[in-house]
Amino acid sequence: MSEHAKSISFELNGSKTEMLVETHENLVELLIRMNLNGARESCGQGLCGCCTVIVDGSAVSGCLYPAAFVDGKTVTTVEHLDNNVHLSPVQEAFIEEGAFQCGFCTSGFILMTHQLLEEKPKPTDEEIRDYLAGNLCRCAAYPEIIKAVKSAANKMARA
Amino acid sequence: MTIHSLMPAGQVGRSLPRLEARAKVTGRADYVHNLRLPGMLIAKVARATVAHGRIVSIDTSAARALKGVFAVYTGEDIRKHIPQPYYGPAFHDQPILALDKVRHVGEPVAVCLAEDAHIAERAAQLIEVEYEEMPAVFDEVEAMDSKAVVHDVLKPAGTFPDLKHLHGKKDTNIALDFHLKRGDVEGAFASAAHVFEHEFHTQQVMHTPLEPMVSAAEPTREGLTIHTASQSPSFVRIEISRLLGWPENKVQVKVPHLGGGFGAKLYIKLEALVAALALMTKRPVKWSLTMEEQFYTISKHATTFRIKSAVDADGKVTGRSCAVYWNGGAYADIGPRVTQKSGFTAPGPYDIDNVAIESYALYTNRPPAGALRGFGIPQLVWAYESHTDLIARGLNIDPVEFRRKNILREGRPQATGTAMKDAAIDLVLEKIAERMNWSAPFDRGTGTVLRGRGVGVGFKASISPTTSVAFVNIYADGSCALYMSTVDMGQGSDTAMAQIVAEVLNVQTENVRVIHPDTDVTPYDMATLGSRSTFHMGNAVKLAAEDAKQKLEAMARSVGVPENANIETREIFKKKYGMQAGNVMGVGSFIPTYKSPDSVTGMSDNITPFWMVGGTGVEIEVDTETGHVKLTKLINVADMGRPLNPNIVETQLSGAAIMQLGFTMFENMEYDAGQVTNASFADYKIPGIHDIPPDIENHIVLAEQGGGPFGAKGVGESATFGVSPAIANAIHDAVGVRLTDLPLTAESVLRGIRLKAGNPIGE
Amino acid sequence: MTPFELAEPKTLNEAIALLDAEDPDVRPISGGTALMLMMKSGVFRPNRLVSLQRVEADYSRIQRGGDGTLRIGALASLSQIEHSGEVRQVAPVIEKTMRHLSNVRVRNVARLGGNLAHGDPHMDLPPVLSSLGAKAIVAGPSGQREIMIEELFSGYYETVLDRNELITFVDVPSQAGWSSVYFKCTTRSADDWPALGIACSLRVENGSIGDVRLMISAATEKLTRLVATEKVLRGQQASEALFERAGESAMAEAEVIDDSRGSASYKSELVRVYVKRALRQASVGATQS
Ligand SMILES: Cc1cc2nc3c(=O)[nH]c(=O)nc-3n(C[C@H](O)[C@H](O)[C@H](O)COP(=O)(O)OP(=O)(O)OC[C@H]3O[C@@H](n4cnc5c(N)ncnc54)[C@H](O)[C@@H]3O)c2cc1C
Ligand code: FES
Ligand code: FES
Repeated sequence: MSEHAKSISFELNGSKTEMLVETHENLVELLIRMNLNGARESCGQGLCGCCTVIVDGSAVSGCLYPAAFVDGKTVTTVEHLDNNVHLSPVQEAFIEEGAFQCGFCTSGFILMTHQLLEEKPKPTDEEIRDYLAGNLCRCAAYPEIIKAVKSAANKMARA
Repeated sequence: MTIHSLMPAGQVGRSLPRLEARAKVTGRADYVHNLRLPGMLIAKVARATVAHGRIVSIDTSAARALKGVFAVYTGEDIRKHIPQPYYGPAFHDQPILALDKVRHVGEPVAVCLAEDAHIAERAAQLIEVEYEEMPAVFDEVEAMDSKAVVHDVLKPAGTFPDLKHLHGKKDTNIALDFHLKRGDVEGAFASAAHVFEHEFHTQQVMHTPLEPMVSAAEPTREGLTIHTASQSPSFVRIEISRLLGWPENKVQVKVPHLGGGFGAKLYIKLEALVAALALMTKRPVKWSLTMEEQFYTISKHATTFRIKSAVDADGKVTGRSCAVYWNGGAYADIGPRVTQKSGFTAPGPYDIDNVAIESYALYTNRPPAGALRGFGIPQLVWAYESHTDLIARGLNIDPVEFRRKNILREGRPQATGTAMKDAAIDLVLEKIAERMNWSAPFDRGTGTVLRGRGVGVGFKASISPTTSVAFVNIYADGSCALYMSTVDMGQGSDTAMAQIVAEVLNVQTENVRVIHPDTDVTPYDMATLGSRSTFHMGNAVKLAAEDAKQKLEAMARSVGVPENANIETREIFKKKYGMQAGNVMGVGSFIPTYKSPDSVTGMSDNITPFWMVGGTGVEIEVDTETGHVKLTKLINVADMGRPLNPNIVETQLSGAAIMQLGFTMFENMEYDAGQVTNASFADYKIPGIHDIPPDIENHIVLAEQGGGPFGAKGVGESATFGVSPAIANAIHDAVGVRLTDLPLTAESVLRGIRLKAGNPIGE
Repeated sequence: MTPFELAEPKTLNEAIALLDAEDPDVRPISGGTALMLMMKSGVFRPNRLVSLQRVEADYSRIQRGGDGTLRIGALASLSQIEHSGEVRQVAPVIEKTMRHLSNVRVRNVARLGGNLAHGDPHMDLPPVLSSLGAKAIVAGPSGQREIMIEELFSGYYETVLDRNELITFVDVPSQAGWSSVYFKCTTRSADDWPALGIACSLRVENGSIGDVRLMISAATEKLTRLVATEKVLRGQQASEALFERAGESAMAEAEVIDDSRGSASYKSELVRVYVKRALRQASVGATQS
């Protein structure tokens, strides 16, 4: 660690966490150190969403988020959604609709869909597209992703 | 005798979700991207800043002096450990790190190692290289006879017989020339009622898998273990052992899931450097590219295609000549294969008696080009289907009607002389026409928004002759596992292959465990490419499962189980071994028959074990004031034999078409003096969710593939074929403008509109 | 990225004191989305970043003043602005712009001050805010000053701010009687940066253009007000013919540059078309309201 390293404390997937981070470290790098691999750096420029993490209830691109900025905040990753037990309705819908191929973008799309449905429980096609415009899928599972978002919305409405 | 089954068959044709679905939606799927090994060093490379130049000096002192740097190496250091450090599937032309000279901007020149990626990266930026610049060539047609020569001497790998004659050749950039001649082309042109001649271009694009290329190597007591995001683990093992002069069994190659491949992760890419570094440092070494670095590593060929057709008075094409120039970049990679394997389909899926084809793989000073979803076919279909449309329009014949008149039907010989078999080209065309309601009146729009529609149909041969081997292991409790080296990069092969095993063994697909490629354990497979796996590996898997089943039945007989007894598998093992013990190993190996093209005429009567056919229909709107093109309808149709898993197949169709949509509308590697100027997603745009048309249809023309496992064949590429020409044809239909270069930017559309209106836009 | 000092002052004044008028390697950081990109690509290697994340909450509030002025704290995130009822009431064009500005994750993190201070001519908010007549309130060691948004930019990625000055608020005047639109024109994928941005605010009085502010961005080196074209419009009867003429004028007036999103001559055509379309839509809005 360099002389500029900072000691931070935050809540990670429900657990109080304290650690030393470099100022030039980003949130994805921090999570990797915590053995959480669901957020992955791909474009590195905020454009693809593979690195999506929820900080204090809002989605951020971990690749552009300084690790030191999570001090005092709550951090949630895709690994927290099922707690190793039950899949969330969004995860179920993604499986049922086949909304991925290689799966590299999937954590990001799933977290973003959770955020969207929290804001808008019954999104229109246009709202879905607008919300997910910052997530890229090179396998281009977009048609299935749109279907999965709608199906997840229905599941959640029924629940 | 029937082995007791808990589940009825009917596994093939089931649309079950991918076996690894849960791991993927929970973020827990394994990718090499996530791999961390104890004591691992991170590699970062310094890259060439000139397109062609002799290396005068490399100053690594500042990099070495940086705190935390473990080591810095150049090509000369590698050469001390590996005397001939050149690799490649077709030519041994690519140095592990540049030696003597660099051949493209972005070529790795030196490597820095540190435990901290940031330090390795900073060190790489501190490396100073002095070059003596040499003249460079970037254009494929200029490369045919340019003074700038990329490689002093050609070094074919020896694996492909049709490259042998190039050994030792000097002063040329031509890495392969393929020629085909059938019938009397000159005669056809001399007697033609009409002659049409056009030139088309495609641009260089990149695969951009979202998991950027990544490999790691660790020294082991036996040799080396390489963890790599590769589509061809068996080839990596062969090539690394060749480089090191080791037997194959000292190199282990392991591949978990891939975050996309599309051809970028084929053959050998980062593996040679990490292998060398692991041996030199005696530590595990991982090298992960950034998105930017991928653009310097592999790409899709830019092409120039000159096509000329002779047509008789009835609108029948009687002769066609094709000259295709493939811009292969600085290293051949698999370009020469693309040149030949795709080259012989250049005249398109039409019944033409007289054809001449020339197809050239060219070295240039650009980043290398290789296979990208379609192995060269989309570049060809772009040209021949645009050309076809122009002929139809020139003759005032409806474009679909014109295709019907000329289409290559079942049993008729293709350019090589091979008769078409199980290739539903006509059915694909008819399905598109039906879904587009082609014969009904079409709304052409009004005011500044005009509408148009277009179609494109293409076909592809399989990559032959290639081998796949599979093992199916039945354990003593009756559960089973499939061992194969096919890589699931998202195309769903794990699931589809498990379905084959399940069908044969009469078990539930979900209960078949698929063992991921690990060359210590899983048997040989040529590679996961060119949609070959369903057919080749599918057959091998089916044979392995059948072999296992027969062996199990034989075991049952040997312990006295009567014919037709309803007995559980585990009971057979118990009877045989007295307890839960032993196993049954089924082996399947498959290589189809093939005859290579004649070295003079290019002809063969058995050029491929099967054909892939795909077509596209589109409807578009053009904003005549801005040139913006909006896709309103996209219809994808493919002949893929009998689908093993219809849902997965469908996502493959729309996925392939949308990817090709990006290559059609905006993706383009831009250059300044050989330097890619838009090597990031900020400047190299790929399709996002707003770019997909509101109306997408996928259709599978049901046709049984003879010789395919359960009548199936490959699907991954077919929907790419027709996209680009269908859109260009639709633009022509809407506004009367013909574009011959990809991508079809709004600017080029508007320029065309204004030129036609006699009011051109200035330069 | 290389190590640097991250200062996290609790007040704006402390933050200003930690900045350095002379040292380009010391900078404020608000959301960090733009700075992270620059640091990752190695174009910027700071010695010290001064985080504004912990300064007084006042600078992230959005409030309406008595005179109808909307005051947006420079540390308000773009999402906060997007979802603010106050903002929607005063200037619905801001919310509409936000929907296609970058993406949800960037908007959640990026702050208004960072968006303006970055000086990137492709940004969407500068043309919109300047067409609304907004001004930035800027604080430095020697006190406060006000800068009209349209005067904030001095060149490509350059602003008139001193290195130790911070944007604290943006004031948007009451928009009573004004109608505003923003056209973001992309030429590649839909989520691309704009090839051209045209923002237009106008008032229609008895069928004539009472007043107008017309801004161009992305296609030009910096945000530019199309002053001559505004003159063509002012006081004239709103009509298709007038909008055509204004489009021609804008095409002649704007100094459009080449880039990978299109040649200068093509983008000039876009200027003509989009100015016409913006005027058409804004005047419809003005007549309806
Ligand atoms: C993927 C992506 C896509 C984008 N697309 C768009 C788009 O389509 N349209 C668009 O308009 N923008 C777009 N942006 C830009 C985005 O809006 C900016 O990155 C963001 O607004 C910058 O805000 P920030 O708070 O993150 O700035 P920071 O990165 O923190 O800072 C940016 C600059 O401003 C300075 N600064 C920060 N705060 C202040 C202050 N209060 N006073 C003075 N100086 C200050 C910093 O020193 C730095 O120089 C995109 C960004 C990304 C990453
Ligand atoms: S890696 Fe962060 S958005 Fe792409
Ligand atoms: S599933 Fe492969 S990138 Fe989305």
